[in-house]
Amino acid sequence: MNGRADTDGRADPEGRTDPEGRAGADGRAGADGRRWLRAVGDAVAYPLTSNGRLLVAGVATAATYAVLVLSSFPQFSLQLLTNDPTDLPYALVTLTREAYLTTGWLGLALLTAYALLTGVAVTNAVTLVRRARRRSASTLVGVVPGLLAAGCASCGAGVLGALDFVGAMAALPFDGNLLRVGGILLLLFFLGRTGDPRTCAIQ
Amino acid sequence: MDEGSNITRRRALLAGGGTLLFGGGVAYAASRSGSNEQAYVPSNFHTSEETTGFGVELAGRPIVGEPDAPVDVYYWTDYLCPFCKEFERETLPDIGTDYVETGDVRVVFLSYPNIGEYSLPAAVWSRCVWDQVAETQPAAYWHWHESAFDAQSESGHDWADEETFAGITEETENVERSAVDDCRENRGDAVQESIDVDLQTGRSAGLQGTPGFVLYNREADVAGKMVGAHPYENFANAIDQIRDA
Repeated sequence: MNGRADTDGRADPEGRTDPEGRAGADGRAGADGRRWLRAVGDAVAYPLTSNGRLLVAGVATAATYAVLVLSSFPQFSLQLLTNDPTDLPYALVTLTREAYLTTGWLGLALLTAYALLTGVAVTNAVTLVRRARRRSASTLVGVVPGLLAAGCASCGAGVLGALDFVGAMAALPFDGNLLRVGGILLLLFFLGRTGDPRTCAIQ
Repeated sequence: MDEGSNITRRRALLAGGGTLLFGGGVAYAASRSGSNEQAYVPSNFHTSEETTGFGVELAGRPIVGEPDAPVDVYYWTDYLCPFCKEFERETLPDIGTDYVETGDVRVVFLSYPNIGEYSLPAAVWSRCVWDQVAETQPAAYWHWHESAFDAQSESGHDWADEETFAGITEETENVERSAVDDCRENRGDAVQESIDVDLQTGRSAGLQGTPGFVLYNREADVAGKMVGAHPYENFANAIDQIRDA
């Protein structure tokens, strides 16, 4: 543990809780921002700390991408895969092309970033839950909001398609890219909030 | 838990390489363009005023193939749908060559406007073009239809507007722009109603997107549904099954 104990801005690293004037407040906000960015960096680097975690992150990333892409046209995906599961690569390639033609490079980049961040978030969440279960129920409760945030972000882009709201993503602002940006921000919020899941954090 | 694990160079390289491979794979799949494009123009078109046993109204709808083909393929499409373009380029020519030209299948083109704002106006353009050329120059409709799909841009729906479709109509040989405009202006409402009928028929068949297909054996009254741009083999198997039902 590295003793880092501030993730919600209630106290700065020096332990001051009563800022002196506007300049002090601005400085503290900047420090908070830097700390948050550092925490995101720690969180993203966490899957690199063991082969098992890297594998979990890789599998979760691939699975998330597959689910997101397949759920963009669930009726087609279900029919194709129930007919012949070995058509999965065909479905992924065809629907990736479809996603690009519908939302452009930006949409596809967001989808890829979304899957990568979800892979990291899942790996970190597994560690958080394991730690929380070993410690106390109250810690587990503290972890839940973050997990929910990550979970909602992960399903956000796919859930509309999975519920068979055909054209729902296309009808959303910027062909659903706004929703994807929102999901990515939610994931970054979760990762910045937890940082390296092995370190102490007051929730 | 191994709290003391470190970030090793090997794992960092593995993760970086994996990420690059993942991103590269996605980009490759996205930029893959139809390499199997082939020119196919049906040799037979026809019109009909009937309603089929499946409940599809044929009046005013483009039909490709022999009138007595045992299998009907009802094809719901949208000119703004990239997946439909994929089907038209990769699979429809093979179905045409192997099943339509042999007299086994006729394809009925139906509208399912669902992608963007100009989906419905585009469907009206299509119906009015067919209306003008069906009896005299039906192949002109095919060329117009192909040009409309060719006009799809690489991304977004901004390409689809009055100007684009007017341009396609003017440039397609044997299609008279003034007659098409007359149809859109004076019979546009009736055309829209018939498009709405297509949409409702498609929804009743359980279709939730484009391209959507119902394969129907008229004599045996047996039908099967397909959704999306399946590979050709899936279509061929499904057509064989319905034909032999």
